[in-house]
Amino acid sequence: MSANSTLDIKNKEFILVGLLLVTVAGLAAFFPSLGSNAQGEVDWISLPLVGFPIVVSGILMAFASQESRARKEILAGPIRLATLCFSLIPLAISTALFFDWLIAVDWALGYNEYALESRYHWMESIGVSWHVGMDGLSFPMVWLTTFLVPVTIIMTWEEKNGAVYHPLLLMMGGALIGVFVSLDLFMFYIFWELTLIPMFFLILSWGGKDRRYASQKFFIYTFASSVIMLLGLITLYFLQPAQDASTNPWVGDLTGRSFDIVTILDQANHGNLGDGIFLGMGMQKVLFVLLMIGFLVKLPAVPFHTWLPDAHVQAPTGGSMLLAGVMLKMGAYGMFRLPLALFPDALMHYQHCIMAIGLISLVWGAFVCLGQTNLKKMVAYSSVSHMGVILLGIASMQPIGYAAALFMMFAHGIISPMLFAVCGAFKHHYHSMEIGAMRGMAKFSPFLAVYMMFAWMASLGLPLLAGFVAELMVLLAYWAIYGWWILLPGLALAITATYYLWSMQRTIFEGGDEGQPPATLLGENPPDLTLPENIGMIILAFFTVLFGVFPFIALGMMDDWTVAFFEGVFNRGGI
Amino acid sequence: MIDPAWVSGLSAILFILGLWGAFSRKNAIVVLMCIELMLNAVNLQFVAAASHWGDVTGWVYTIFAIAIAAGEVAIGLAIFLSMYGQHETISLDEVDLLKH
Amino acid sequence: MSETGIITYAVLIPLLPMLAFPVILFLGGIFNGTPGWVKKAREGGLIALTVMGASLALSIMLILEHLHHTGASDIFTWFESSWWNSSTGDIRTDVFGVGIHVDHLTVMLLFVAAFLCFLINVFSIGYMNTDPINDNRNHRFYAEFVLFCSGMLGMVLADSFLWLFIFWEIMGLCSYLLIGFYYERPSAAYAAKKAFLTTKVGDVFLVIGLVMLWNLFDGHLDYAYVFNSANIAAVDPGSLQLALGMMFIGAVGKSAQFPLHVWLPDAMEGPTPVSALIHAATMVNAGLYLVARMFPFFAEADVGSLSTLAIIIACIGGVTAVMAALIAFVQVDIKKVLAYSTMSQLAYIFTGLGAALWLANNGYSEAAVLAMGAALFHLFNHAMAKGMLFMASGSVIHEMHHAHHEVAHHGDGHDDDDFDAQSMENMGGLASKMPIASTAMLVGSMSIIGIPFIGGFWSKEGIIANTWTVAMEEPIFILPALLVLGGAGMTGFYMSRMWFMTFAGKPKSEVAAHVHEQTPWIPIPLVVLTFMSLSAIIFAGMHSTSWLGDYDHGHFMGFFEYIGEELHHVFLNENPFLLMLTYVAIGLSAILGPSFAMALYGGRLDDGEKAKPWVQWAIDLSSKVRRNSHFDNSAWANSGLANSLHQRLHFDAVYDAAMLKLVAGFANITAMIDRVVIDGTIKLIESTSQAASQKVRLITTGSARDYIMMVALGTLGIALLLWGVA
Repeated sequence: MSANSTLDIKNKEFILVGLLLVTVAGLAAFFPSLGSNAQGEVDWISLPLVGFPIVVSGILMAFASQESRARKEILAGPIRLATLCFSLIPLAISTALFFDWLIAVDWALGYNEYALESRYHWMESIGVSWHVGMDGLSFPMVWLTTFLVPVTIIMTWEEKNGAVYHPLLLMMGGALIGVFVSLDLFMFYIFWELTLIPMFFLILSWGGKDRRYASQKFFIYTFASSVIMLLGLITLYFLQPAQDASTNPWVGDLTGRSFDIVTILDQANHGNLGDGIFLGMGMQKVLFVLLMIGFLVKLPAVPFHTWLPDAHVQAPTGGSMLLAGVMLKMGAYGMFRLPLALFPDALMHYQHCIMAIGLISLVWGAFVCLGQTNLKKMVAYSSVSHMGVILLGIASMQPIGYAAALFMMFAHGIISPMLFAVCGAFKHHYHSMEIGAMRGMAKFSPFLAVYMMFAWMASLGLPLLAGFVAELMVLLAYWAIYGWWILLPGLALAITATYYLWSMQRTIFEGGDEGQPPATLLGENPPDLTLPENIGMIILAFFTVLFGVFPFIALGMMDDWTVAFFEGVFNRGGI
Repeated sequence: MIDPAWVSGLSAILFILGLWGAFSRKNAIVVLMCIELMLNAVNLQFVAAASHWGDVTGWVYTIFAIAIAAGEVAIGLAIFLSMYGQHETISLDEVDLLKH
Repeated sequence: MSETGIITYAVLIPLLPMLAFPVILFLGGIFNGTPGWVKKAREGGLIALTVMGASLALSIMLILEHLHHTGASDIFTWFESSWWNSSTGDIRTDVFGVGIHVDHLTVMLLFVAAFLCFLINVFSIGYMNTDPINDNRNHRFYAEFVLFCSGMLGMVLADSFLWLFIFWEIMGLCSYLLIGFYYERPSAAYAAKKAFLTTKVGDVFLVIGLVMLWNLFDGHLDYAYVFNSANIAAVDPGSLQLALGMMFIGAVGKSAQFPLHVWLPDAMEGPTPVSALIHAATMVNAGLYLVARMFPFFAEADVGSLSTLAIIIACIGGVTAVMAALIAFVQVDIKKVLAYSTMSQLAYIFTGLGAALWLANNGYSEAAVLAMGAALFHLFNHAMAKGMLFMASGSVIHEMHHAHHEVAHHGDGHDDDDFDAQSMENMGGLASKMPIASTAMLVGSMSIIGIPFIGGFWSKEGIIANTWTVAMEEPIFILPALLVLGGAGMTGFYMSRMWFMTFAGKPKSEVAAHVHEQTPWIPIPLVVLTFMSLSAIIFAGMHSTSWLGDYDHGHFMGFFEYIGEELHHVFLNENPFLLMLTYVAIGLSAILGPSFAMALYGGRLDDGEKAKPWVQWAIDLSSKVRRNSHFDNSAWANSGLANSLHQRLHFDAVYDAAMLKLVAGFANITAMIDRVVIDGTIKLIESTSQAASQKVRLITTGSARDYIMMVALGTLGIALLLWGVA
């Protein structure tokens, strides 16, 4: 330690790069042995997608945390670059998995079947294993996460204290992927809570004026809800039928039960065959509600949504982008993975409740948006509104509605980071978040104005941009089930257009020949976007258009998954 | 051979002595010693039970406990050292930061 | 369904302009202001022109190929989705495809759109690039322009209602961008928002209608499936009517009909080529196209009665026709007159379509085809004439601007910044100074009025006659029938008023006296369109009045034979009622209306000024009429009705108040409830638990010995518990 600190800065950076190279080389060297599962196939998930980002970011942060403030400033450059490079590795892997470049992956899976499955013993006494795999539900979210992390890093390239900030984003990505690939409740819960930690620090250390309050509210609120979910998970664990540990190596020696999601889903499916009801109707309802509370808070749905605007307004741009882009989708993902698959009878029982919550989120969120004066708060509430669409898709109980919900998760995962990136750039260059504090932004920052208009239009569901298909499909499914209630989502669509257009009128437009910069700018001439911001925006815009014009790229997989899901869960063995 | 009952009795006495010391003394080191005393009382109990039942498990646990106790003392003393560095005292009555 | 021929390339017609959109935007962003970009590329105008030319050429090839038969071509499967039948457990897969569909309706609108887009592009290069206010932002104009054209071309070519809607929305976006082109003007920003939101209201209903239709037709929205006789016969007519009615609300919004008409006059805030584009060639016709597309539903013999919807369409049309015409009476802004005139003429087409749909639904298939043809032919004539009128008015405004600059420059130094170059009260006597514009405007106005033998006359007569034909059968139709007949006279008045105020009489301002027609590029489209309007009879001869050949009953006649038939049909109808009607309509629109206008606004030019002979007659006539009539309208001009007409019958004020008071007010209340009640509950839980924990923490003394005591007591407690359990 003492020898290290006497080295001059050049040697420091050298050591840093060397350390990372050693890490990579070590991972690569051990890859075949560490990285192959019981079937002898290479495990492309555990280490490359989950372990690697978390470990590397941990090393980077540990390295930087020893340094003085001045040295951190100097180290920020190489660390940020290294983080970007390392975040591109998972993106490359997940993209390659989609295009079958690494190995041929068959994504046309049956119900409760997973591609790239790998499994290792962890705690044999209680039946915990490290079990990962992906299907049409999780893979799009994994790809989205691996895609968003580098984009976020690029977009917030100039964030202060980058030596810690950027590795935190990388760690966040690893934890999020961990949630999506977990096929074990224990793992799932660990990663679920692990995501809170980087986000908590992102808000606490890089947030706005009320960051303390917001970060704690965010942490405690979501943590409390996931404890309720944990209660449900543990109950579920103990209520599942016991198995003989000698015939099934994956169940616990002591408990005869397993935390394995695949096993539990199998048992539930078996229990739900014919007229059977897994665990009985009463217990299904209880567990369904317990799990749903955890997921609804995360989603978030009205009335559990108030942590979101506070967290978003205070969070730094990068934090907001990942929070809105992926973290909210954890809630929806969890619903599909657990309660909907486990408790179809409870789902049918609560179908209208879910519809009501979704509808309220959608309409209420839209109206609250219209009443906001803070740009970022408005965008945050628009997330609440759009998440309501997902609930409507779920409540429709149709494959098209489910596929729509999945596509909404995906599309909103690309659009909402762009919304928040625009807000962040606005804040960055104009030092203000008030709608109406300035006029004629198109004059000062034409590029920002264009991106803002693009993101706003994408979010209000303009055709040929990613959000439209999802909204259309939800409406299609919705009308068939709920009939004239469709007028309310219709109203929400109109209100959405209203608040977006109104906010544009009062920021981009007007202002006369000279424009009216905000008072917070103190008379300086505002610069337009920086190069990294431009690059990030263009990438996001490109993918918004890509998935809007060619939705089948992602929808094909989602549709296969929903069909298998309906065959497996609702058709009860083909009645 | 001594009747294990006597050994149990001794261990009970030692345990109560240790407990009483841990409650009443101010000096952290003395409290630590008292805790060690209680630990050893339990060890005695294990040994006694092992010889009574003729089962080696008790001895195994004792060895475990001694090893852990050694580590615990090391950590405890390290804490006291740094406590002394911070507060210049190791009186337990004067260290009540947790209260605030 | 795929076939060979030019149709396999038809996808390029909308695709080329769409791809040109980012290209122009990008190149403009880079090269903006460089001499090459300004002079050689005309700030993107020539790129746009090239692309639009290619689209026009392809369109014409496609039209020639498919003039007499329909065609279709699949492009790709957009996405697939599944539907679960909960009672049988079957899962059905729905395919959402993309494809091209060409029939006679497509052909006509494709020609209108591609042709006018091209001409307006030519006009724009003259108009936009010579106005210093547009410096450095013309690339934005051309980029948005081509995207708009792409939307219109794609909409008419699409092979399903879904893609129709998608391109429909793209047009909505572009109209928003183009109306807000001068973004720094608050009025433009307001107008853009208003246009988008008003049409959005209609669009929401359109989406709902599509969703209903999709549900009725088992997951299909493509024309090939929904227009299949067996499939139409299988659906419940009541539901179908409801779905189509919902879609019609979308059309009402897009085509600016009552009660969603408020956006169109404000949309004049955009540059004049935009007005021409939105109001003539493309966007407003989209609603008509949508309604016309519904024809096969109504024409299907086995479908139940959909007459209610047909009546509603006709009535909305009739009401709008008269309302817009009335408001046009008092407008002084030349573009606003044209905007209201557009609303009114579109309403005519809606009425005509309503009549055609009613006839089709009630089994008069031959009459229905003729009525459909009349309505669509009016669409065609109106698009040509109104595009020309807007461009001519743009030419006038442009030259007024130039003259204003000159006058302000050479004059006594007082620069009058409040000068309104669009106000007709500053014009007058321009006939001699702007020969091309005045000619074009004269022909265009005559076409819109329906002066016999020119342009819109053929189609308007048809619409009025058909509406009355239906009214003979269906009493409710008497309302729209009366309205369109009265509206014809009103059209005669306000169009003539516009022309005479602008071109006849003495110049009403110093600026108007200094106007010259000098800008290049602008006259080309005016001349072309003048001939288009004059030669409408030729198009009539090409079966335009029964252009829906798919539903035609196969009587093809020779060209001149057909013209003779048409003339006979109009002027020497065997049906005495229709014969009388024709002459009443001509009397109202061609004689009564213009006479009033001449009496009020006519007048001779300045001494020594002489217009072209084909224009001069109108001026001479007007001054003669004015001299011989002593018509005083001051009582009317000060009446309450005129006042509310100036206020546009208070629609805008009421809508604005509803938005601000009701919607925004409610939104503020919800935002407050969200903060105070919902978040307040959370905060209450938070503060309560904090207060409770303040109490609980008193038992933590901070003394290690107390903690040891607690551990001991706790252990004891557990031991006791275990003992108790045992």
